[in-house]
Amino acid sequence: MSVFIVGFGAGIGAFLRNELTSLSQKIKVDFPIMTLLINIVGAFALGIFTAHIHNGSLLLFLGTGFCGGFTTYGTMNMELSQLWFQKRFVRCFLYFALTYIIGILGFVVGINL
Amino acid sequence: MQKLKTFLIIFIGAFIGSNLRYGESLLFKTSSGFPYGTLVANLSGALILPFLIHYLQDRFHLSSKMILALSTGLLGSYTTFSTFTADTYRLYQSGSWIMLITYLTITIVGGFICALLGNYLAASRAFVDYAERGKD
Repeated sequence: MSVFIVGFGAGIGAFLRNELTSLSQKIKVDFPIMTLLINIVGAFALGIFTAHIHNGSLLLFLGTGFCGGFTTYGTMNMELSQLWFQKRFVRCFLYFALTYIIGILGFVVGINL
Repeated sequence: MQKLKTFLIIFIGAFIGSNLRYGESLLFKTSSGFPYGTLVANLSGALILPFLIHYLQDRFHLSSKMILALSTGLLGSYTTFSTFTADTYRLYQSGSWIMLITYLTITIVGGFICALLGNYLAASRAFVDYAERGKD
């Protein structure tokens, strides 16, 4: 049963991530702003869910499933490596720092809200 | 209709990817509370993703639908950022400073190195294939 709860949550989360990322490709910004926003919002949402949802299955669906599928670490590091190979070191460092600092803060704010 | 197709392609990939991560989190559960599961999923995913995009895609002539399922769906959901922030907060709350610093360092530095390595691996594999084709 857990397999379906996690899988359904992640399926919806990943689709939403793809919709947002495709949307951002129409706006020409030379920075992976959408993955950054997705990871921050996802961490914030997981904080809220962790603090307020006490039903184990629902938390598995929204947390491990939805937030886990919505946020991504693989794409973020791939984008970082691309910026690195393009020798855009300032952008690379900025993306690096903003993701980790605001991302962790997002979760902390969410769980204490 | 196109939207529904995209949804199903990503959904299937994400269904598998998230459950691999979930399985690993259960498999690597230890009494110390160190999140080995998230770490293994994130680092391996960060290594495989550039290798998939820059090597496997060409090598096996993977269709754009297949790539969407494997990269955005499977690997995107196999790796996670939100759980990493939750793990970090949990280690901070429990006051396990050594585990916290170890986890942060391996995640932050290790993921980046894995992604670089994935790119290099893809380039070197592609070069070997190219050189071998040249011999025929």
